[in-house]
Amino acid sequence: MPLFHSVAEKDVTRAIVSSFLRQFEQYADSDVIIVGAGPSGLVAGKELAARRLKVLIVERNNYLGGGFWIGGYLMNKVTLRAPAETMLDELGVPYEEAVEGLYVADGPHACSKLIAAACDAGVKFANMTIFDDIVLREGNRVAGVVVNWTPIAALPREITCVDPVALEAKVVIDATGHDACVVRRLEERGLTRTVGFGAMWVEMSEDLVVEHTGEVHPGLVVAGMAVSTTYGLPRMGPTFGAMLLSGKRAAEVVMGILEGITVA
Amino acid sequence: MFIYLYDEAATPTLDLGGITNYIKDKLPSSQIEVRENFITFHLARLERRGREEKMSHLAEELARAKVRKLGAPLNDLFVPLKGEIGYERRRLENQNKRVAGILYDGFVLSGILQGLLPPEECALNQVHIVFTNQLFGTWDEHDRRYHARVSIYNKPSLISTTGIVEAPAKPREYYLLKQQYTALGMYDAAEVGLKGNFRGRFIDYNDERMTRVMKGYVLQALMHQLTGEPFCTDKSCRLYNAHWQEEVIRSQVENPYDLCPAHERMLEALLS
Repeated sequence: MPLFHSVAEKDVTRAIVSSFLRQFEQYADSDVIIVGAGPSGLVAGKELAARRLKVLIVERNNYLGGGFWIGGYLMNKVTLRAPAETMLDELGVPYEEAVEGLYVADGPHACSKLIAAACDAGVKFANMTIFDDIVLREGNRVAGVVVNWTPIAALPREITCVDPVALEAKVVIDATGHDACVVRRLEERGLTRTVGFGAMWVEMSEDLVVEHTGEVHPGLVVAGMAVSTTYGLPRMGPTFGAMLLSGKRAAEVVMGILEGITVA
Repeated sequence: MFIYLYDEAATPTLDLGGITNYIKDKLPSSQIEVRENFITFHLARLERRGREEKMSHLAEELARAKVRKLGAPLNDLFVPLKGEIGYERRRLENQNKRVAGILYDGFVLSGILQGLLPPEECALNQVHIVFTNQLFGTWDEHDRRYHARVSIYNKPSLISTTGIVEAPAKPREYYLLKQQYTALGMYDAAEVGLKGNFRGRFIDYNDERMTRVMKGYVLQALMHQLTGEPFCTDKSCRLYNAHWQEEVIRSQVENPYDLCPAHERMLEALLS
């Protein structure tokens, strides 16, 4: 008597294909598309999906979580400064107080809990999917993203003559980290500018990242380390506390946009 | 002399009452008025519509005053991003919050604030001393880079409660240890750990010694107004232009005297 139920290979294939295509078709038009599944993107996604919005996160890697799995020097402990530990409380992640106002958590535990929380809230993912371009509408409002399979970008052009596809959304969040891919694409079109990294006053930059999180161009909100690149803020200071709180603020800004109000 | 001191609410250890008493002791005939935050105070004098317009204008000016590259002078042609102006606007609406992480061009900043002074308060016998938590710096042609500063003596004079922490260099060992932390990517731990290891050896945010230290910088601002020369070469004199935290502590906290004999005599001559 075999342990597992008998299933034909074709049924496995059909299950994968039909389930994926159904979701992909449904999310070709989302409320919010977030580019980047690092900590800021995941938090923003979790918060927005919890408000019953249709949220798709596009991630170029197979894995989700960005740099949240490990801290410095490949050591898998992540540090956060108060008040960011409240986010760990929300997620149910255990942590220790290293010194007053500084908390340490296990990277794998914190990251996996955050991914699970985003999934539980209803966020859907397109991983192994690379951002290629932006979709623009009247008045140059950002209205979606153009994506392709990540491996396409890694292979020679003569092998991979594959056109990308477009996904539409009411609002797009650039949570692509230092690269600020979406903002930079907008910059290439002459629609905005980035300042690049500042190089000063590392210790105080976490607040700045959170405070500058917001709509950088109609329809495009910038969160996490992409904020640093866009506004030329110090690049080394912001750690995971700023990423989590920036994600939270990005969600508030998006809600404000969708409700037609300005979030100050 | 009429002296206007502007408060900086984000630093609870800064006691303008104590500084007022200190000035009274040094310049008994002066009249001192303590005011709230400089921008808040002067914007409040405007009618509502004018205030709104001024705030929008100020937000853009402040965004333009932001130093973008330490190794390049301010580019007057740079148009700030919408988000940068928005950030400054939010700050103008909440002046009691500490601004963090941005370096402004000090002379440009001073010029912006100067534009808020009413003509009737710009006489030679009127001194405006503004405490701010903004970090500012000045461009140095010699080494072609910006240097963070504690103070700029002008009309108004600016004294930064952030600058006193960030501008004078900390002990050399501090930077060596910091390099080790950052090489490991331990940025948060670096900040907390370093402050623990070097506690007392530099002026920190909300330092208990803040008021005592700032008395000396106010005195420098007043000497600049009275004589055109705010500084002294004596390392124990309140007027010493300190570039290291150890020098700040020596001249403002552990100083054997307030003013060196030469400046003591100079002040007496000015008052007689």
